[in-house]
Amino acid sequence: MSKTITVEYDLPFPPAKVWRVLTEPKLLEGWLMPNDIAPVVGHKFTMRTQPMGSWDGVVHCEVLTVEPPRRLVYSWQGGARDNPAYGQPLDTVLTFTLQEKPGGTLLLLEHSGFTDRNEFAFTAMNSGWRSHGGARLKQVLESLTG
Amino acid sequence: MQMDIRQTGIFRALGDPTRRAVYERLIAHEETVSELTARFAVSQPAISQHLKSLREAGLVTVRREGREAHYQARPEGLKPLFDWVAHYEKFWRGRETRLKAVLEGLDE
Repeated sequence: MSKTITVEYDLPFPPAKVWRVLTEPKLLEGWLMPNDIAPVVGHKFTMRTQPMGSWDGVVHCEVLTVEPPRRLVYSWQGGARDNPAYGQPLDTVLTFTLQEKPGGTLLLLEHSGFTDRNEFAFTAMNSGWRSHGGARLKQVLESLTG
Repeated sequence: MQMDIRQTGIFRALGDPTRRAVYERLIAHEETVSELTARFAVSQPAISQHLKSLREAGLVTVRREGREAHYQARPEGLKPLFDWVAHYEKFWRGRETRLKAVLEGLDE
């Protein structure tokens, strides 16, 4: 089972402008985070945010769909791959859909593909820590010091 | 992506090595303040202070039995650290103002 986050931004600006703030690195950084995006299918880029636990805060992305100025899709992967508990790898997809409306643009953002893996890790840890002396949790705690 | 208050509290609570050791101990065992004091060779007030921080971060619960307070780790206490959906939901909703500000600043 996977979850999707849906957010709508009602913007009093034409789609062409909204497209620019989604696809030009400097403009995108202005509201999101430092990045090296390019609206080219197959382009791989990163977003950089605050590190958390053993995750270095780098989001790895790849452009999947480019339909200016209507639709932009890229993958969004983050989390720490070296830690089975905290900061489970995040393998998700971000879809931006622009709908022109009188006086502006309705920007729909869908962040999809959140699996229950994190939940699994949590549950496994929960049931496992009493029997395994908290070994898994210990790993979690160690990752928090960084 | 900013950490929320609960996460910050958890990181802060577990940032101290003694507190982390106390927490680890309480994962597998329920213990009283005096048992913890004996085990960690620190003063009772210090242990109590650590337990207070852990409780405030939602990491530890207490069960009272007569005059004794028994402490135990709370499994769900670490959940805010795993909850990507909640992180991102908040994150994306919080970006609208900045997005509009960038658009305002664009040349015609």
